[in-house]
Amino acid sequence: MAAPRRAWLVFGFSPEEAAGEPGPGPGPRRLESGPEGIRRVWPAWSYVVVETGAGLEVRSAGLRRGLPGWAEALPSETHLVLRGAAAARAWPRAAALRGALRDGPSWSRDLPPGPRRPPPLPLLPGGFATPRPPFFAALPGGVRARGLALGYEHVLVLGAAGETYAWGGGRHGQLGHGTLESELQPRLVEALAGVPMQAVAAGGWHSASVSEAGDLYVWGWNESGQLALPSKALAEERAQDEDAGHAELTPRREQPAAEDAAFISIQAFPALLDLPQDLEVSKVSCGSRHTAVVTRGGELYTWGWGKYGQLGHEDNASSDQPCRVEYLAAEGLRAEEVVCGPWTTYVCVLEPQSPPPATAAYTEEDTGPTLPGEMGQAAPQDRIPPGLATVNAGAAAGLVPDPAPAAATQVLKPPREEPNTLITAAFP
Amino acid sequence: MAAPGGAEGPAAGPALWAEVRALLPDAEEGLTLALSGEVEDCVLPLLRRARGLLYGAAGRPGRPEADAMRRLGDVLCDYSWEKLNVGPWREVSKAWRQVYSYGCLFGALAEVAAGRPLASAVRLCDMGLLMGACVLDNVLARLVGVLQAHLPCGKRRAAAEGSAKRVRIDPPPVPAVQPEEALPHLHCPSLEHFRDNYLIPQKPVVLEGIIDHWPCMKKWSVDYFCQVAGCRTVPVELGTRYTDEEWSQKLMTVSDFINQYIANENSVGYLAQHQLFDQIPELKEDISIPDYCCLGEGEEDDITINAWFGPEGTISPLHQDPQQNFLAQVFGRKYIRLYSPEDSENLYPHESQILHNTSQVDVEDPDLVKFPNFRKAVFQSCILMPGQVLFIPVKYWHYVRSLDISFSVSFWWS
Repeated sequence: MAAPRRAWLVFGFSPEEAAGEPGPGPGPRRLESGPEGIRRVWPAWSYVVVETGAGLEVRSAGLRRGLPGWAEALPSETHLVLRGAAAARAWPRAAALRGALRDGPSWSRDLPPGPRRPPPLPLLPGGFATPRPPFFAALPGGVRARGLALGYEHVLVLGAAGETYAWGGGRHGQLGHGTLESELQPRLVEALAGVPMQAVAAGGWHSASVSEAGDLYVWGWNESGQLALPSKALAEERAQDEDAGHAELTPRREQPAAEDAAFISIQAFPALLDLPQDLEVSKVSCGSRHTAVVTRGGELYTWGWGKYGQLGHEDNASSDQPCRVEYLAAEGLRAEEVVCGPWTTYVCVLEPQSPPPATAAYTEEDTGPTLPGEMGQAAPQDRIPPGLATVNAGAAAGLVPDPAPAAATQVLKPPREEPNTLITAAFP
Repeated sequence: MAAPGGAEGPAAGPALWAEVRALLPDAEEGLTLALSGEVEDCVLPLLRRARGLLYGAAGRPGRPEADAMRRLGDVLCDYSWEKLNVGPWREVSKAWRQVYSYGCLFGALAEVAAGRPLASAVRLCDMGLLMGACVLDNVLARLVGVLQAHLPCGKRRAAAEGSAKRVRIDPPPVPAVQPEEALPHLHCPSLEHFRDNYLIPQKPVVLEGIIDHWPCMKKWSVDYFCQVAGCRTVPVELGTRYTDEEWSQKLMTVSDFINQYIANENSVGYLAQHQLFDQIPELKEDISIPDYCCLGEGEEDDITINAWFGPEGTISPLHQDPQQNFLAQVFGRKYIRLYSPEDSENLYPHESQILHNTSQVDVEDPDLVKFPNFRKAVFQSCILMPGQVLFIPVKYWHYVRSLDISFSVSFWWS
């Protein structure tokens, strides 16, 4: 049998390491697949759900279990939400990893008959799922969503007309409304009005969107350089490395000297990001503290937190500048899709022996056997990547407005405020 | 970066490992990994694996075990750090903070086992003390105590002394306190007198003679802090005022702070509002809790003691706090202005939620066009001298500017 033309590669933290075992290193690792290949992936921190020709499969350290009858996944470290044709359900992580779905689910919701290709999870008819209690939140009737992404504290929606809504926790500017306040209800990101988007993605505390023209917008917390804006912490790390005589480790990322740059910790309005050579973006995905895009030319660029190798640059460095993943170029691999887990980057590539098809995302030979009653809905090539799937319950559970820092700074503790409020900040 | 040769400290020997190991339970089962609440399933295997590496070897863990334990410590810290940053700090669960402490503990133990310079283990302990929550009978404080004894703590860099004598831009003059605005001063009032005339009517007053016997009055100096705490990591506020755009916070060692911001005042750094005495209990022996705090309703353990250490020119903009406050001046002078909460409407508090306790007005240079009612506000002021204690009633607005290198201790009580 000919090798599959598509393959998924993974950079970053491995399920083995998440289980406390020696890991295989930062990658790239190739996701094992049967003859039908892997169509979609939904990574959590310690495990990943993949869609093979035989349906969904959950993979953790040393374990692979089929999830027969399900079409889409929304995983977290507490629960796994699955969606089928007629219902969405959530199981505790431990049961899901054992494939023990006969046990009673933690949550279940019947789904009305819908379109053949419903918008992807977390969207559900009338609202959206969260992979933690309370598992479902209604969307106000006025918001017609075609995509939705969950951050640790915030929610982004891509509206039917390409408009962007954001709500939830806003202390890190991740809502893009220009403030650090929280919002209880979906609120239109006015700064992006008139710029129709094709995709939105949410990281832990940052956000990104791609316009129909292929422009990338970013906002939120830049603590590890995840917005590709100058990060003070990274500049100081570089300065320390140079002090310590490790300057040779960072030649690729030429940076202005620390004192010259205007550092940005929080970007509270969407910022148009200049990519090298005015590249146009086709896909975007965010990890907890990093960002990855695929360009229309099939290249992968990444930036942000890199400690676990999630940027794919074959080191553990973080970057506050977009960097092309040279491994793909060197291997002649064309990036098609990217999906970040919290500390990982999954990239779908086309192998060199077969040039990419002109239009269709899935060709006939990719499709493989069909699960009875499921595949009709199962394999849309969504324009919106699932984004970061790990969610804090607060994102859905009604968010308490929260004190935010005075200026665009990361905050250790609210100044001159209550006792016992030392707040954490980005200290690697 | 640490000074070459010195602050990084010597590497650990077998004797140190024995001393460190003695802080931990004898048997693996003794280290229960108990947490005071639920965390995600994925954390427990990591904690157990790290514990297994620690107890696996009969003596000190070998290099591969130490490296694996260090990595597990990193993963635990990085993972729980994300939890610590979700939602407001007061809602972060203690269990996740304990996971963070365990990550720091395993990391620090790995550094010691691997024989690496101790500064990094001390820093890990401090990170756990700053952001984590107590585990194993406050093992991080105990561990750092042992490590510190083996680490020659910071000496001030000789060069810093000379360069401190740079040409200064003239500091603003010491403000004159007009008699009609001067705060009353009292020498050792009785508890009843203080209660009836100041606490109950909520009137500020400067108390004298009540801390003269505290050991800190004789012991503490810039050099003393370098000596006893030079290698300890503390949070420092950078920038003149916390309301400024470019204001930020940074973690650094006490000796770096002193060298960069006390000895050389190129920019303002302020070790402010930090519970230093919980982090470094030895220093707590040099102070006491003012007797007048017993007039409050809270337990003594509920009193928050903060350290405020900085150069001349640190400014706390006009703000109010939700508790009664005794501000004790140990060395240096501070200019302080107080406004009654009844004047709040004339003080233009910020509208944003986090700064609602802070006035928009620069009290020493008010913009009266923007804030016309500020001229109606009536204030009292003082120059707080070493040995004096200012009683600031709850919600009383206060503005503070240091006139010298200054160390103050505040007691928040209810």
